[in-house]
Amino acid sequence: MRLVYEHFVATLTGLIRTPAYSLVTVLIPGVVFIFIGTSVADSREAANLVMASFAIFAALGVAFFQFGVGIANERESPWEQFAHVLAVSPGTRFAATILAALVFAIVAVSILIGVALILTDVGMPLMSWARLVVAVFVGAVPMALFGIAIGYWSPPKAALPIANILYLALSFGGGLFIPPSSMPAVLNAISGVLPTRQIGELAWAAVQGRPWGLEPWLWLAGYTVVFGFVAAMGYRRDEGVRYR
Amino acid sequence: MGSPNYAARLVKVSKAYGPTRALDQLNLTLDRGEILALLGPNGAGKTTAVSVLTGTRRADSGSVELLGGSPRNLAIRRRIGLTPQESGFPNALRVGEILRLVRAHYPAPLADPVLFDRFPLQPLLRRQAGGLSGGQKRMLAVALAFAGAPELVFLDEPTTGLDVDARRALWRAIGAYRDDGGTIVLTTHYLEEAEALATRVVVIHGGRAVAAGSVDEIRGRVGQSRVRFDGEAPDNLPSATRIERSDGRVTIYTQDADALVRAMVQRGVAFANLEVQPASLEEAFVEITGGGTQ
Repeated sequence: MRLVYEHFVATLTGLIRTPAYSLVTVLIPGVVFIFIGTSVADSREAANLVMASFAIFAALGVAFFQFGVGIANERESPWEQFAHVLAVSPGTRFAATILAALVFAIVAVSILIGVALILTDVGMPLMSWARLVVAVFVGAVPMALFGIAIGYWSPPKAALPIANILYLALSFGGGLFIPPSSMPAVLNAISGVLPTRQIGELAWAAVQGRPWGLEPWLWLAGYTVVFGFVAAMGYRRDEGVRYR
Repeated sequence: MGSPNYAARLVKVSKAYGPTRALDQLNLTLDRGEILALLGPNGAGKTTAVSVLTGTRRADSGSVELLGGSPRNLAIRRRIGLTPQESGFPNALRVGEILRLVRAHYPAPLADPVLFDRFPLQPLLRRQAGGLSGGQKRMLAVALAFAGAPELVFLDEPTTGLDVDARRALWRAIGAYRDDGGTIVLTTHYLEEAEALATRVVVIHGGRAVAAGSVDEIRGRVGQSRVRFDGEAPDNLPSATRIERSDGRVTIYTQDADALVRAMVQRGVAFANLEVQPASLEEAFVEITGGGTQ
């Protein structure tokens, strides 16, 4: 669709012209990996797993925060109110936002992988790399929609704190920082239904060369539908500023 | 799509924000081909009325019809244009990029030659919106409303803060659009603008339409003329509709300035620096709403 492309290009162009913002966004996961990831990557197997988890963390950070929750800040802007009147559906705008988020996520993940290749003993067959990339970016879609939903449903000033808590909870709960196998049983049960855990299962299977199960895909498809619906409701209900 | 002879209609539309009643059973019909100016003090409900018409806010009750359908319908929204409030643009985007993005939403937008003939934006195409002057931003904001060649345009304070030449140029562009059969809803505080452009005026106050008519009719609702002088204001003058005093200067609104001055002379009222002028729409509007403009 032409409008998806036009909104995508406009969003991306605006961000690229704000290098202070975009550079930080793409560099942070790589930098965090240097300080935290490298110390636990003491074998090839461990390095692969840690890198995979960080790749998810990186893609989520971009999709969930910068593009999803960021909407909360723009919601009140005159331009956003204007865009609401233009003949464009929420789906079109979300698609453009997610595409722009994916571009940034690709750059952020590439830098992260570059860092991992230089500083750790990461290594796996080409097929595993490809599957890792698919898992990470497919997973970024429902998380971007989740972020957009939060952006539209929470009061603008509360969006960031809410998102921070959810992001940390989802990252830990999904097993990105501690492997699910070392979680207490209760936590592991909760972890099993989180979107981050599904992305993790796919990514870990990819780097370990195990086949993918169907279950994580179904969960992610379900989350995409639910978050997409909630985000669209939020967009429609949003009437911008309440004062006159 | 049935095409009634009106472009938009609000019937008994109410909208409240918490305890504040922004629109109170507002009735408003917009005819095709007219330039309707919505006037009223801040908080009168003008902006809310436009938001309801353009579908950005939902009415609590009442019916809203825009170009024969619902303003929430994308096919209908393709036929309207509007100015972003406060001329807010994505700062990092260039003028040309913004024009391209907005025009992409319309089936048959204005081509560059026509657009730039009406709005001289060509020298600015490669400039980022964040670096434009206030006047340039206004020009871009108004151009965006017309860029899609819509049937109906909503203009919010189109020429606030523009210099005389730029204002005249925009007024010409707006006139050209009307000559092509376009319909415009204009919200403004700037009454000279309404006087210059509007074919009809609706004064909104307290969420209701309190007066409607041509510019002349609205002006006729109160004093036709304004008589000013230095001195003491006498009481009980014939035909005075309103008297204001400030710093020894008296302003009297009247239907008949001749009779008023004659009466002042007959009564021996002391005055100096006498001035008689036709009342402006602004003054008519203060009279009707009984409150100050802001």
